[in-house]
Amino acid sequence: MKNTALFLLSLTFAASLGSLALAQQPAAAPAPITDADLKAIAAPDPKVRAKGDPAGDSTGNVSDIAVADPITDKTPKAKGLTIGDIANQIGQNKIAINFVWTLITGFLVMFMQAGFAIVETGLTRAKNANHTMMMNFMVYGVGMLAYWLIGFAIQEGGVGGVANLGNSPVLSREFVVNIFGKPFGLWGQGGYFLTHGGAYDVFAMVLFLFQMVFMDTALTIVTGAAAERWKYAAFVISSFIMGAFTYPIYANWAWGGGWLANLGTNFGLGHGYADFAGSGVVHAVGGITALALAIMIGPRIGKFTRQGKPVAMPGHDLVIVLTGCFILAFGWFGFNPGSTLGASSNGNLRIGSIAVNTMLAGMSGSFGAMLYMWLRYGKPDASMTGNGLLAGLVAITAPSGFVNTVGAVIIGLIAGVLVCLSVEFVEKVMKVDDPVGAISVHGTNGLWGVISVGLFADGKSNYGGSWNGVNGSVTGLFYGDAGQLVAQLIGCATLVGFVFSFSFVVNLLVDFFVGQRVGEESELKGLDLPEMGALCYPEFEIRASEAAAGV
Amino acid sequence: MIVAGIVVTLLGFFVALASVGVASSVAARMAIVLAGLAISLAGIIGVLNRAFVNKAIWRRE
Repeated sequence: MKNTALFLLSLTFAASLGSLALAQQPAAAPAPITDADLKAIAAPDPKVRAKGDPAGDSTGNVSDIAVADPITDKTPKAKGLTIGDIANQIGQNKIAINFVWTLITGFLVMFMQAGFAIVETGLTRAKNANHTMMMNFMVYGVGMLAYWLIGFAIQEGGVGGVANLGNSPVLSREFVVNIFGKPFGLWGQGGYFLTHGGAYDVFAMVLFLFQMVFMDTALTIVTGAAAERWKYAAFVISSFIMGAFTYPIYANWAWGGGWLANLGTNFGLGHGYADFAGSGVVHAVGGITALALAIMIGPRIGKFTRQGKPVAMPGHDLVIVLTGCFILAFGWFGFNPGSTLGASSNGNLRIGSIAVNTMLAGMSGSFGAMLYMWLRYGKPDASMTGNGLLAGLVAITAPSGFVNTVGAVIIGLIAGVLVCLSVEFVEKVMKVDDPVGAISVHGTNGLWGVISVGLFADGKSNYGGSWNGVNGSVTGLFYGDAGQLVAQLIGCATLVGFVFSFSFVVNLLVDFFVGQRVGEESELKGLDLPEMGALCYPEFEIRASEAAAGV
Repeated sequence: MIVAGIVVTLLGFFVALASVGVASSVAARMAIVLAGLAISLAGIIGVLNRAFVNKAIWRRE
């Protein structure tokens, strides 16, 4: 009995070892798929299809794959469906997914114009509503025209191939000079009118649409800071120049293959200037240009007393202000996740993380501003809470692709407090009048967003294995790379030093030739009639005493 | 004053830009860039803005 038990145990052990050895043998490789296998795949019977496909089971099948050499009655010896056809279809599907993603997110960003328009109009007085709304409406057209004619070529004319959008070589002409023995890309030279140099190209069209709506976002920031006293003709000329030159030059340096992006490859500073969706390129360029113009154009009549004390000038409609903030927050889901320029391959599945970072930073930004105002002034100020939301969104724009959710919440929270402090500084210390807080929301927090990449980037993102030509992931100071912070600070210095000076000189010239500011009588009366020829709210009677006082 | 403000602001940018050419350590580059930023901010806030505030509309009212 004992021997029998031992025999069975030994047998079981041996069998176990045998099965283990079998399990460790590599599985036989599957037989390669051949063209003959593809021909065996049957397309759905046309008679069945003719009855309709309510479940959607047979719509989209092998017969929908484009065949390079199709078999027909006249070409019975053609190759028919091949492996090559399938590979091409997969490649085109990937690019199609990325095209559709980039276009749809671009459409979302375009809708942000509506958000900006009503936020700014709501924050200004009723007597200027038509004028403010028209500036926000036409900045879209004026900017687009300038960008189509000149701006796009300067920004993207030398960007080279974009892997997510098909690696087209049609935009590969960058003007480069040598500084410190390294190539410094300064502006692109291909793509004028979207026809020059092969730019009549599907990739160039998608890139143009997406980049155009970003550019227009930067332009519309300026209209808020100069609202209620900016001459309409000056606005048109100034916006055209900004869309043609100011914005595209900095955008080229950061995104179009210019020198800022190459600070990593040329000088070993992290991954070069990293601005994922444009805290610097879009928002700081807009906010800093707004500062240049607001300084030059001066405050509204009645904004400061003779002693320099600021006087509150409340906007006329908080409902549309906060509704506009929501529209902007919605559009930001296009702004940041769309900046991957794709949803398929190259680490683009991180779009979920980017979207969540975006919404979290907006949330913490609104909390930061609301709590600051509540603690400091005793009430949770509505317009500043709205600005806090926008500040959080502006600040997370650059780091959204590189940070984790904890970083996003901290960045947004700081932005929410920072916007309040900045509004106070701009108004009380600098004596600069910014009716909507554009300088603080977009300028100050745009810079904060750029810096925060250099602090909070956690080194976990992986967009195709490299960023700006440097292998590995963007990593900030808190995760071990101080060089990245230096690259970000050089970007900030360029914004504050170069972009400000350029915008200021351009607008000085506009002031010299056209005049930037409306006359005092027009300003007191409200700009709707003198500048636009029609009141926004004709049934409203604006009280004469208030108009005379400039309220 | 306006021209001086623009010159000082631009000077800050060139100082920051020079950091990558004149220094090789990260710490030295960061110090130079921060100095450049400070110069530019001084140009905007201390020189340029002051020139405009001195002739601001509310001082004449």
